[in-house]
Amino acid sequence: MLELKEVDKSFPGVHALKKVNFNIAHGEIVGLVGENGAGKSTLMKLLYGQYQHDRGEIIVNGKSVRFENPRQATELGIGMVFQEQSLIGNLSVMENIFLGQEHAFVRAGIVNWRAMANAARKQLAKVMLDIDPKRTAETLSFVQRQMVELAKVLTLEERVKGDLVILLDEPTSVLSRSEVNLLFSLIRNLRSRASFVFVSHRLDEVLEISDRLYIMKDGEVVDILKSSEAVVESIQHKMVGRLINREFYRESKQEPFNPNLRLLRAQDMSLTGHYEKISFDLHAGEVLALVGTDGSGREEIMRSAFGLEPLTSGDISTGEDEITKHTAAESVRLHMGYVPRERKIEGIISGLNIFENMTLGNIKHYSRWGFLCISSERALAAEWIKKLSIKTPSEFADCGNLSGGNQQKVVLAKWRIAGSRVILLDHPTRGLDIGAKEDVYDMVREMCADGCGILLIADTLEEAIGLSHTIMVIKDGRVKKTFDCAIGKPTLYDLVHHMV
Amino acid sequence: MTAERLRAYFPILTLVALVILVGTFDTSFLRIENLMQLASDVTTLFVMALGITFVIYIGSIDLSAQSLASMTTVIVSSAIPVIGAAAVPLALLIGAGFGAVSGLIAVKTKIPTFIATLATAGIAYSIAQYVSGQKGLSIDVSLRESWLGWSFGNIGPVPKEIIVAGALLVVATIVERRTVAGRIFKAIGAGEAGAISSGIQVERFKIAAFAISGALAAMSGLMLAARLSGGSPTAADQFLLPAIVAVLVGGTPLTGGVGGVVNTMVGALIVAVTRASMVYLSIPAQGQQIFFGCVLIVAIALTIDRRKVRTVK
Repeated sequence: MLELKEVDKSFPGVHALKKVNFNIAHGEIVGLVGENGAGKSTLMKLLYGQYQHDRGEIIVNGKSVRFENPRQATELGIGMVFQEQSLIGNLSVMENIFLGQEHAFVRAGIVNWRAMANAARKQLAKVMLDIDPKRTAETLSFVQRQMVELAKVLTLEERVKGDLVILLDEPTSVLSRSEVNLLFSLIRNLRSRASFVFVSHRLDEVLEISDRLYIMKDGEVVDILKSSEAVVESIQHKMVGRLINREFYRESKQEPFNPNLRLLRAQDMSLTGHYEKISFDLHAGEVLALVGTDGSGREEIMRSAFGLEPLTSGDISTGEDEITKHTAAESVRLHMGYVPRERKIEGIISGLNIFENMTLGNIKHYSRWGFLCISSERALAAEWIKKLSIKTPSEFADCGNLSGGNQQKVVLAKWRIAGSRVILLDHPTRGLDIGAKEDVYDMVREMCADGCGILLIADTLEEAIGLSHTIMVIKDGRVKKTFDCAIGKPTLYDLVHHMV
Repeated sequence: MTAERLRAYFPILTLVALVILVGTFDTSFLRIENLMQLASDVTTLFVMALGITFVIYIGSIDLSAQSLASMTTVIVSSAIPVIGAAAVPLALLIGAGFGAVSGLIAVKTKIPTFIATLATAGIAYSIAQYVSGQKGLSIDVSLRESWLGWSFGNIGPVPKEIIVAGALLVVATIVERRTVAGRIFKAIGAGEAGAISSGIQVERFKIAAFAISGALAAMSGLMLAARLSGGSPTAADQFLLPAIVAVLVGGTPLTGGVGGVVNTMVGALIVAVTRASMVYLSIPAQGQQIFFGCVLIVAIALTIDRRKVRTVK
């Protein structure tokens, strides 16, 4: 019912989709996998009308179409559940669900809120979410919001005659296993009405739910498989074009840290409403992971340590110096570097090119009397591009046009260039493909070998266990348990046990 | 991709097209003396726009420039008879100080810059009223000659205004492209959150950009005072709108991060040629602001980076 024929799409400097052929039949669940930058998101956005294709054809129900905006796509029954959630925080759940569709509840210019609430309850029942539709979206948990997002798309069932295509962009990344099961049973129940495109980095889940699988690499579809016949290793191989190193977290390169060289000390740090009495020491060569659920306070601890959030009380010191001014500028001056979760907003600056981004952490070093030494900046950037195999035409490329993994490499290079000794990594591999993740793990080991200390908020528990020397479990803003991995690495169960 | 690239050349192409257009109306327009005159007439406006460019480049706005320039004409007119040459650096310092205060207010209180600068503009206007005693002031001919002589008259065939403005442009270009401050301005304009978490003292550099804007507004006030051989609290009225137009038409969008001072030179020339063309089309001077208002809207609509301004509040 939905078909793409030889679809091409380019952005400045990036050929994102190359002659992609794609089709999905009635009631089918199609998985879409590939490394970051392979073109999955671009493909989804084309289907959803957020981008327009340059060449080729999009065919819906036998008719060639061109969506100018998402609304036109929705009218033909194509809906998308976003990876980065799109709910508006200060609106109620029902207003979010019927955003743009309020006219159905309007009589004589007045919205009938009761009718909307009832209709919203019906939608929420579809996703088995029992919450008051009048609650504002920001009071919901992350998982609840994800479900509301799905409920919002499911309003298409009533609004559109004929079949639906629902695009799911990484819908399970924040869900627990039982929630994933719930989502999957929902999806299966909806098959009489809708087909699904399912994008995920979790291959086992993709294989479990989908009928067929499209594997993308560098903007091309490299293989189409029946899920029942697919094997995880061979898919991974096709995605990256090489075998995955079994030694994923580079554990053989993990060396004991130097307990005599302290780089960062936190004493009784508190931030009212977020965390309380947090103390830790970070040593040269150490990876210290803060583990906890979302909202446990670990992000705030890291942001306070870097000076982006305030402290209500407590002290932080680097080596011998006490930090008195809690600002990012002071932290950087004291050789700290922060790799933020929001890579595109806080990590890189899009609009600045690669060398401009890379030297931003110690721009004074690449200047004389306030004048820039651009040639040395360029040479330096070229060196790092080569060293980290950053995919780019040149050091003049706008960082905003790089793929996630390459952007992350630029951010890491920035702090290496700045000579940072304490590196704060907040979800350093979030949204990265396997290859780019491995590159980040390599850099983590390399930084430790160079005597840096790393404070880590890992993307997954496995990652925290794999990388760390010390793991602190944070729950409700307090340290629940500290694991010394030299004695023996904790298991997933050990961690989860203390987290919840 | 090509459209994106073409957009960068849009201002200069517009300028060339306009010159050719007016030139075909009246070939005498293309005479070198006429063009030189045209350029020198727009220098005061250009110098003001040059300062505003830095502020727009970081994604802020300065609405105080015209009031600062007016105030400067008054200050310099009353100070020159008393302190002579020192009046010139004094006026520049006051301008820079005013700009810095605007920046400080915006940064420390998080008041939007258009409000903060509107407020300081009001203060500057009142100061000008007090100092001038609410009347026009004039500068003695010999004093003007000795202390402001650098900004009027000719060197050979070239008006000194052009030389002064050109020198300022060169310095501004170097600051923008070759200095740490210029790089940081660009970073702030392109992505302030990223600049902050890279450890840049964003507040300090924002204040600096406003100080530059204030100093150049004062500079344009000085050039205006020399031109008028005097000053008044309303001397630079009607400058602000075309100055902002010059910046935006030149290709520095309101969202910042791209464009720059060379673009503003092109923009200022576009404003100059447009003005001249209005004379040929016999549009009355009072009507010019209507025109510039419309151009401003179109220019912003064409240049603004909608990825940064997703919604309008």
